[in-house]
Amino acid sequence: MDVMAYLDAGSGSLIVQAVIGGAAGVVVAARLYWRRLTGRFRRRPPGDRD
Amino acid sequence: MLPPSLSTTVPEGDPTPDPGSFRDPANRVLHADGQILRGLDSRAAAHWQALAGTEFFRSLSAEGKICGTELLAPGSAPAAAGRWAALLRHERIPVVSYPYEWSFTMLRDAALLHLEILQAALSAGFTTKDGSAYNLQWRGSEPVFIDVGSFEPAREGEPWAGYRQFCQTMLYPLLLQAHLGLDFQPWLRSRIDGLETGQLRRLFGGIRRFRAGVLTHVHLHDALQARYAGTGSGAVRAELRAAGYSRNLVRAMLRSLDRLVRRLDWRPPPSHWARYRETCGYTAADREAKERFVGAALAEAGRPGLVLDIGANDGAYARIAAAHAGYVVAVEGDPVVADQLYRRLHADRERRILPLVMDLADPSPGGGWRGVERAPFAARVQADAVLALAVLHHLAIDRNVPLPEILDWLLGFLATAGPAGRLVVEFVHPDDPMAVRLLANKPAGLFPDYRRDEFERLLGRRCRIVRRLELPSATRTLYVGVPRG
Repeated sequence: MDVMAYLDAGSGSLIVQAVIGGAAGVVVAARLYWRRLTGRFRRRPPGDRD
Repeated sequence: MLPPSLSTTVPEGDPTPDPGSFRDPANRVLHADGQILRGLDSRAAAHWQALAGTEFFRSLSAEGKICGTELLAPGSAPAAAGRWAALLRHERIPVVSYPYEWSFTMLRDAALLHLEILQAALSAGFTTKDGSAYNLQWRGSEPVFIDVGSFEPAREGEPWAGYRQFCQTMLYPLLLQAHLGLDFQPWLRSRIDGLETGQLRRLFGGIRRFRAGVLTHVHLHDALQARYAGTGSGAVRAELRAAGYSRNLVRAMLRSLDRLVRRLDWRPPPSHWARYRETCGYTAADREAKERFVGAALAEAGRPGLVLDIGANDGAYARIAAAHAGYVVAVEGDPVVADQLYRRLHADRERRILPLVMDLADPSPGGGWRGVERAPFAARVQADAVLALAVLHHLAIDRNVPLPEILDWLLGFLATAGPAGRLVVEFVHPDDPMAVRLLANKPAGLFPDYRRDEFERLLGRRCRIVRRLELPSATRTLYVGVPRG
């Protein structure tokens, strides 16, 4: 079903919830950081550059 | 017994939008003929259809934890319902109150109910769009979730969108009071969106950061907010999903939040109770006579619908009033006393006495957008009887409020009561030990009008005095006044 948030949940407020969720959440947060880190060095497909 | 809830009559008047309900464009609370309606757009109407079929919603509604709600049949909806695809009708909450009028334990119980409802909703595939303390109201001392428009289907792999709002309007005020002993009410009253994470972080420096819940919900939270200030929440949602965020993690987060809120407690220093006892200088004979007087005054008023008890103290007279009235609002200025009152009422599962905390010389004003998003206290309480017992001298001597102003304020709550309206008021004579103590803090002769004869004259101009009793100690007099039309 289609949903629509009206509230700005806050980017930091979304991420911190992973850590509060315990060990499994910390793993997700670490994976998120790893993806962001490696994403910087990954080659972007042509046309995706800003 | 529940207060009157769902009406069966069809509203005929044009619905007017509630000024406090505009943040979510998908739905809006409307008023029509004294009934509380909620307009839903087509998407929200589809969500309602799905929600109404769930077991969790039915059972929490039946337990009274979610306010009673029904769909208005299309034919019975007011013609002027406007752009809404569907209209709901809600149970009417007897008196609307705001989190800055709740005591510590009230806010904690409201927070726990919000978390309980959200956890039940998640198990059924739903979530709440927000996490505001304003999603909750009270039936006496029982919290009730009112924002039925907040439910929507949960999306897999997404954290709770209402977490930040929950922190700002519920968790942070609780941390402030539990860990630092600061009353949260003035903070919530002055900030419609609650306390900012950055504000709280500055208050929890040094070793205070190691108090329960502070390191993660405040410090880490604030650091991440600063770090991701430039990243849109849509992108972060997608990244979290890709990193494996799951609904189980939302559940784990909510369980952790629930454990934390349960652990938060606030006990005032013993010195507070010592001061409080000094203000309760009644003899047994005085108390007995006063209780009889109040009971008789309300009994002959013909079962008032709503009694407002100003300066409720330990709630003894609010309980007497509840025996004679439909609903009682018990307002107390001292947050400690109000919290104690709430705990007792809640333990008794009292659904007809609503305890509130409010500085009586500074009643809640209007607030939020244009000053009307939150209504002033005086606009929310139309009473049939007002009790003002052992309170007038505090306002008149301690806070310098002129006697005519106090009487006009009290009678303002009876403006719609008609001839059945009753003001039950106690005048503490200037030679009463309590009055003497208060007067000693002010220059001699500052209040020449604070006299019994002058009070009676002022009261008599505004009310027909139908009963009068001097208490056995002969330093206090009780009056019952019927406001002059």
